[in-house]
Amino acid sequence: MVSDSITNAPIPSAPNSKDFSKKKRANRSAKLKQCKLDARREQWLSQVAVKSKGCKEEGNCAKKERDRSLENLRQRDEDNNDDGSIHHESDSESPSNSPANSLLGGGGGGSGGSDSGTNFIGSSSSRSSISGSSSGGCCSGSITEEEEEDGCLDDWEAVADALAADDDNNKPEPEPENSSSQSPSESQLSMHSDSTPELTNGFGLDSANSMTESARMVPRISGNNTQAWRPDDAYRPQSLPNLAKQRSFPATNRHFGHGGVPWSRNSVLGAPSSCPICYEDLDLTDSSFFPCLCGFRLCLFCHKRILEEDGRCPGCRKPYEHDQVESEASVQGGSFTVRLARSCSMIARS
Amino acid sequence: MATVNGYQGNTPVAAPAGTAASRQPVNAPKIVDSQSVLRRLQSELMALMMSGDCGISAFPEEDNIFSWKGTIQGIKDTVFEGTEYKLSLSFPNDYPFNPPTVKFETGCFHPNVDTCGNLCLDILKENWSSAYDVRTILLSIQSVLGEPNISSPLNSQAAQLWSNQEEYRQVVLKLYKPPSA
Repeated sequence: MVSDSITNAPIPSAPNSKDFSKKKRANRSAKLKQCKLDARREQWLSQVAVKSKGCKEEGNCAKKERDRSLENLRQRDEDNNDDGSIHHESDSESPSNSPANSLLGGGGGGSGGSDSGTNFIGSSSSRSSISGSSSGGCCSGSITEEEEEDGCLDDWEAVADALAADDDNNKPEPEPENSSSQSPSESQLSMHSDSTPELTNGFGLDSANSMTESARMVPRISGNNTQAWRPDDAYRPQSLPNLAKQRSFPATNRHFGHGGVPWSRNSVLGAPSSCPICYEDLDLTDSSFFPCLCGFRLCLFCHKRILEEDGRCPGCRKPYEHDQVESEASVQGGSFTVRLARSCSMIARS
Repeated sequence: MATVNGYQGNTPVAAPAGTAASRQPVNAPKIVDSQSVLRRLQSELMALMMSGDCGISAFPEEDNIFSWKGTIQGIKDTVFEGTEYKLSLSFPNDYPFNPPTVKFETGCFHPNVDTCGNLCLDILKENWSSAYDVRTILLSIQSVLGEPNISSPLNSQAAQLWSNQEEYRQVVLKLYKPPSA
């Protein structure tokens, strides 16, 4: 299916492209799009994995956010129903919209079907998962798979809310593709049997606490279900993921999931997001790097630079301790040993 | 590179060649760094303009972001009240790891400012910290105007007169020439 969309790509774009290089670019953009699509799907699936572990703890706090976004989504529901059919067609025909289009992070909502196909998989998945949860609420028996979707919902919504607002605007549009990408993942659940019970637990907790929510969601079921792609649907866009591909995802899930959780924690704690010396963003290693007792934090590059010359902490002007210099050499273990040194010295003083 | 350094360490005779070679890699990262220096200065400019601190301002000269012109106003209830001083800030290529050179462009009768406008301020020399920025520099200078360090003056006449605030105020006003631009 990948090859299909790629080979098709240059043909619709031919009117746009005046020379061969442009065709090439379109081709590349189609590939790029496919990559993004895959990445998004992985990300989204990883949320499911995280959810299966942490749904109980996070369920409550995420609920409010979820509530909010649900309202937003509901408001856009009508528009979405209208848009849906349009986007099916445009997406299946033209995976090869102009390169710029596919490169736009989350550009104009109404601009193009292919756009939504690439970029909004993640956000739209939250939407489709909502529909899943609602249906799970009212007809629990038959649609157990969709409870998994609900399990991932809380966590995903938290992430989605943290994203830029324009993501919100675009949420409804890609729904058709997503519900289709969802359907393979539903069947995928059978392989995942171990995670299912926990997920249903999470859902049970949700439904118990928020009956109003599910009640509100009920009316949407019909609209969403009619739009969902089935794996054997004739109009199913070629660029959509197939089941075989998704099977490989769970392996990578853990990694993504763990990355996601500390991120949200950091934002809650209000840790500095950029180095006060060079103003570059702190990466994951930097943000767990505590070079000085005074609490002044900086990125590893600037720290190294200061050690080469002045050797004093910019925050308190005291020389960096020597053992910390050594620990700094091994970046991975560095932050940890520094922290240990810190607590030790605090104990010694008190 | 590592071999060169080791060679240098082992044989003092080769030291001159070694230092010449080792100077290059020191310069090389500086060239790369200039991008981050630019970023930092641009961010500082933004922060300074957004901060809205009263009595201080600074802006890069026409086409050189490494050279800024700043102004500070004398703090109320000090002998410098009502006066305004223009300064030049010149940032080194390894800023913020080394402090900018700050000079008064407007004559300032102050114990820690000499007649050429050079300024003696510890945080711009040995006590510089890369966590300082233009804003904190200007605020520091502003507060130093009202609280000079008499013990190590550049302008001994001003230091002697400091104890007599009324007379000092008269001299400040007499010598003060508002910055033209």
